[in-house]
Amino acid sequence: MAETSASTEQRTDHIQHHFVDSDQQFESSKLGMWIFLVTEILFFGGLFAAYIVYRSWYPELYLEASTELNAFWGTVNTAVLIGSSLTVAMAIRSAQLNQIKGLIYNLYITIFLACVFMVIKYFEYAEKLEKGIAPGRHYSYEGIAHEKANIFFSIYYMMTGLHGIHVIVGIGLMIWLVIKAKKKVFHSGYYTPVEITGLYWHLVDVIWIFLFPLLYLID
Amino acid sequence: MSGHHISSAKFLWGVAISLFFLTFITVAVTWIQIPGPWNVVVAVAIAVVKSLIVAAFFMNLWWDSKFNVLLFIMSVVFFLLLIGITLLDTLFRVDPVPSF
Repeated sequence: MAETSASTEQRTDHIQHHFVDSDQQFESSKLGMWIFLVTEILFFGGLFAAYIVYRSWYPELYLEASTELNAFWGTVNTAVLIGSSLTVAMAIRSAQLNQIKGLIYNLYITIFLACVFMVIKYFEYAEKLEKGIAPGRHYSYEGIAHEKANIFFSIYYMMTGLHGIHVIVGIGLMIWLVIKAKKKVFHSGYYTPVEITGLYWHLVDVIWIFLFPLLYLID
Repeated sequence: MSGHHISSAKFLWGVAISLFFLTFITVAVTWIQIPGPWNVVVAVAIAVVKSLIVAAFFMNLWWDSKFNVLLFIMSVVFFLLLIGITLLDTLFRVDPVPSF
């Protein structure tokens, strides 16, 4: 660790007056982010609970309805998100090593991959909505015999929709990071926003890691 | 000087490749049609392993302060509590609420 931090001049303009030093500020921010991530896990937890309760009531509905979901595109999206997690981790590494160009490039790739994810999601939604597979009382698809078919898709839209909103927020955060990085705000002694956005992005990845097999790969 | 662990690029690639590999396994096990509840158990087990890898090596919990690890564990504990107590009700109803 020492060999990487020695090469930079000691900038202190990022330290706010109520912190003892840079490290304390960094650790406090990270702790705050982890507390937020705990609330996020429980936020999605409510939807996973709904999924589990209805699956225990209507297991045959899930088997039947999930065949409407395209496992190929689900797999592609999983790979896209894992790839974006890698580039975020690389972005943090670049910031730690004071490689601001590398940081910006990795953020660009991450934004690109997040957009790919959303475009694929858009086509998946559009294809379903065209067939009348809409959430709740707007459901009008005749292709599934089960009378509770709309319930599976309400859960599908809520879970993937909330996840999609998180991806969009993540894209916004990453654009904000690029702007800050271009203004030379970040250096090896201060990259807290990059680290914390990274934690958020990895959590969005983790949630998709569960959504993918539970929604797309039931049958 | 805690919390400033710098992973090598090689290591990060290794983590990503292991995640890609486990994604492939998740898809591959659906081709061999594991019977009964075991297909869900296998799918969730792989997802748990994948998310532990992400949490430990991408979110850096492996090198992080124990308190952040504790927070993560507590969120999982409370999530399981939420599901466990809910299922104690919904699994043992004589008939599920009809309009649900």
